[in-house]
Amino acid sequence: MHGFHGRLLHVDLNTRKSSWRDLEESRLRAFLGGIGLGTSLLYEYAPPGVEPFSPANPLIFASAPLVGTGLTTTAKFAVVTKSPLTGFIADSLSSSHFALELKRVGLDAIVITGRASSMVYVFIENQKVEIREAEYLRGKAPGETERLIQSELAVPAARVAAVGLAGENRVRFATISNEGRHAGRGGVGAVMGSKNVKAIALCGDREISVADSMGVAAIAESLRRKSLGSLTEKYRSIGTVANLAVFNSLGTLPTRNFQQSTFDHAENLSGETLTENSFSRRHGCASCTIQCERLFKSAAGEEQRLEYETLFALGPLCGIKDPDVVLQAARLCDLHGLDTISTGGTLAWAMECSDNGLLPEDRNVRLRFGEPEGFLSAISAVAERKGVGDLLAEGSRRAALKIGGESSYWAMHVKGLEMPGYEPRSLKTMALGLAVSPRGACHNRSGAYEADFSGAVDRLRADPARGSLVAAAEDFAAVLDSLIVCKFLRKCFTDFYSESAELLGKVTGWNCSGDELRRIGERIHTLKKLFNVREGWRTEDDWLPERLLKEALPTGVARGVSLTTEELREMIQGYYRARGWDKEGNVPDEKRRELKLI
Amino acid sequence: MDGDRSLTHASAVILSGGKSSRMGSPKALLLFDGEPLVVHVARALKRLFAEVVVVAAPGQELPPLPATLARDAVSHQGPVGGIYYGLQAAAGDYCFVTSCDVPFLSARLISYLLSQISDYDVVVPYWQERFQPLCAVYRKSVAPLLKEQLDRGELRPIFLYEKVRTRKVTEAEIRRFDPEGSSFFNMNSPEDYQAALALWEKNKQGFPLTCTVELFGVPRLLAKTKAVSLSLRQEATLSDVFSALAERLPVLSGRVINSESASLFSGYACNLNGLDFVRNPAAKINPGDRIFILAADAGG
Repeated sequence: MHGFHGRLLHVDLNTRKSSWRDLEESRLRAFLGGIGLGTSLLYEYAPPGVEPFSPANPLIFASAPLVGTGLTTTAKFAVVTKSPLTGFIADSLSSSHFALELKRVGLDAIVITGRASSMVYVFIENQKVEIREAEYLRGKAPGETERLIQSELAVPAARVAAVGLAGENRVRFATISNEGRHAGRGGVGAVMGSKNVKAIALCGDREISVADSMGVAAIAESLRRKSLGSLTEKYRSIGTVANLAVFNSLGTLPTRNFQQSTFDHAENLSGETLTENSFSRRHGCASCTIQCERLFKSAAGEEQRLEYETLFALGPLCGIKDPDVVLQAARLCDLHGLDTISTGGTLAWAMECSDNGLLPEDRNVRLRFGEPEGFLSAISAVAERKGVGDLLAEGSRRAALKIGGESSYWAMHVKGLEMPGYEPRSLKTMALGLAVSPRGACHNRSGAYEADFSGAVDRLRADPARGSLVAAAEDFAAVLDSLIVCKFLRKCFTDFYSESAELLGKVTGWNCSGDELRRIGERIHTLKKLFNVREGWRTEDDWLPERLLKEALPTGVARGVSLTTEELREMIQGYYRARGWDKEGNVPDEKRRELKLI
Repeated sequence: MDGDRSLTHASAVILSGGKSSRMGSPKALLLFDGEPLVVHVARALKRLFAEVVVVAAPGQELPPLPATLARDAVSHQGPVGGIYYGLQAAAGDYCFVTSCDVPFLSARLISYLLSQISDYDVVVPYWQERFQPLCAVYRKSVAPLLKEQLDRGELRPIFLYEKVRTRKVTEAEIRRFDPEGSSFFNMNSPEDYQAALALWEKNKQGFPLTCTVELFGVPRLLAKTKAVSLSLRQEATLSDVFSALAERLPVLSGRVINSESASLFSGYACNLNGLDFVRNPAAKINPGDRIFILAADAGG
């Protein structure tokens, strides 16, 4: 088999035993790797109705066919489990050397079930699997954990993915971190922590076989060249933080818990200002020519990585205008292993509750929009689950249900996952994408905003015809996330499906067409939906927070723009029609048969 | 004027040592738009080139210049002499050479001429059945041949074109960038001078439409400014905005704006007034419009 090893490792922490099984080529061809393979394994390994923190909930690490082939931006892996935040699928991606090492240990996937009786880490060295004592790592930050494990093993080349304090304490939006990057959304780190697993360490030397190495090398060179052109210049020159000033000018920058879509201090926080005043260093994932990562220097002289989503969530969303406070907050999130979007979203909810006298008193954490002190204290309190932090560690949806009153109105989430930095009222295609996404409010698994920013549609107007655009964007992302290719390379393809099919063919030896890949995308997405349906999804879960449907935007170029309940309902119906689903959003048997999902 | 500062190997050379006999007074010092003509031309070229060299006759008096000053070793050897001394003084591997009496140079044409030099020694426009040696690009390596011409008394540049790899730029090509050939408008008599002043004033008054271009991301960092105001003709289109912007901020040409087609490169997009993403360069612009130039990949 080329491109895959055809092998899966199952680690059962209850028995501390490991077993290997072969993965059939037909399954890999049907779901590829990454998110697709992870979803397929989740459906198989998760007992229906399993509690996310139950030992039986599988935590799945999945590799992909393009990983390790030298193709730019492909050093990525997926982490898939049942989310403790949403109760539905959590499918996260992360990148860099851990991804390459996962391939080198000769595996396409690792499935971890059970719970260790004490804190452990799992060390995999080719065929050898060890479950090792890790009590001494309790409370350590992911970066420090990585260094300590490398030192203990005396294997400096070992690659480590770890949880921080937040994961250990089952903060429902904890991440799994490797080399400063995170499998960030949906609380995969909390599931790992619930299993008493501090880290996974990998070291391998297995070769990666491709069917046509010359053909792959030629495509790799072509993509490398394209990745250095104007299509990616934004990422290479400024990074994703470039979005902030643009979004503010377009009236799509969520501010003060979505009370408005422009921020008076946006210039302070803009990527351009940060680049001019605080830029420290450019960095990137392994095997990547784009190198989008930007490190900025705080007033204390510490380097901190910053992305747009982190900048928006820890800045305008919480009314924070000082870039140095945002850098400090981002640093705390990284140290504790917290998803920055859900952290910002939950704190913004708490600030609004506080404004309305609904937040429980905590004399150590005073949360108010724009006030740095309480904001920074709250982040650590969340990771420690201390005081009001224990409530906030549940995420905005659960926290609102606990304190009651009107507070659910201010919880800005879809299916329990806090909203990313795209204002749905002024990005109507994105509004639909966020409402129907199986992962919850997610900007990565569909990228529906692309239609809004393209000029092909009127972004301020709702239209049921957007359903087909959202479905297409979801299928596209499913393929991208399962091959895996970074979304920042997406514009470098002229015809993504046919070019990717050719590339996949050269890696695997399969005679693959663009249409087959397109169908794979639909299959993967549909299986995510089927998993959610099995776990209790209801039609009303495909919806947006009430605020977005009741309040018109008060500021900026989109002032007065709203989204009504009826408009959203019609767009969702348009989406279900485009998908071939019934009016309630269920997948008919006929569609399942068509996609070979029965 | 538009241009490309990434062409760091290019310099500009302005010949100012002519006799000005028909004009009756030194052309370089004629007042134009409130400043001496040579300063006006040098300032315009300075927006395009890292280095501008003005070649003057021995002893010729000139005002303070935004340029490097070089002198002919021997005066009045015609354009061949000026080009030779200019190439000798310039640091660039190749030079755009012009004279000090051309106030209507088209930056888009200059950019195009520079873009053609890679396989040639000389790039020279051919306009109305005549070579235009003082609106041309010369590789520095032709200097020894010019010296030989001077020694032989061959004072016409055309002799050089027969000896080296010369790219003759046709009238059709020129019209794509400078439809009226205004780059070749020079002043030899007081009547020419008056006509040039009148044309300059007319052009200034002919811009009734004002709009603002706001820059985001890479364009902002390159231009070191957030916004510029542009004056355009009535009925202006997005293409006109891009041309005028490239002229105002030459650093955007070749990176963000494709000056040849007056459009944005594929990595960039345009939004009108924060509302509509516009892809058609023929889209009309209205007075007061705010035009955002940003990465095509918004989001991510």
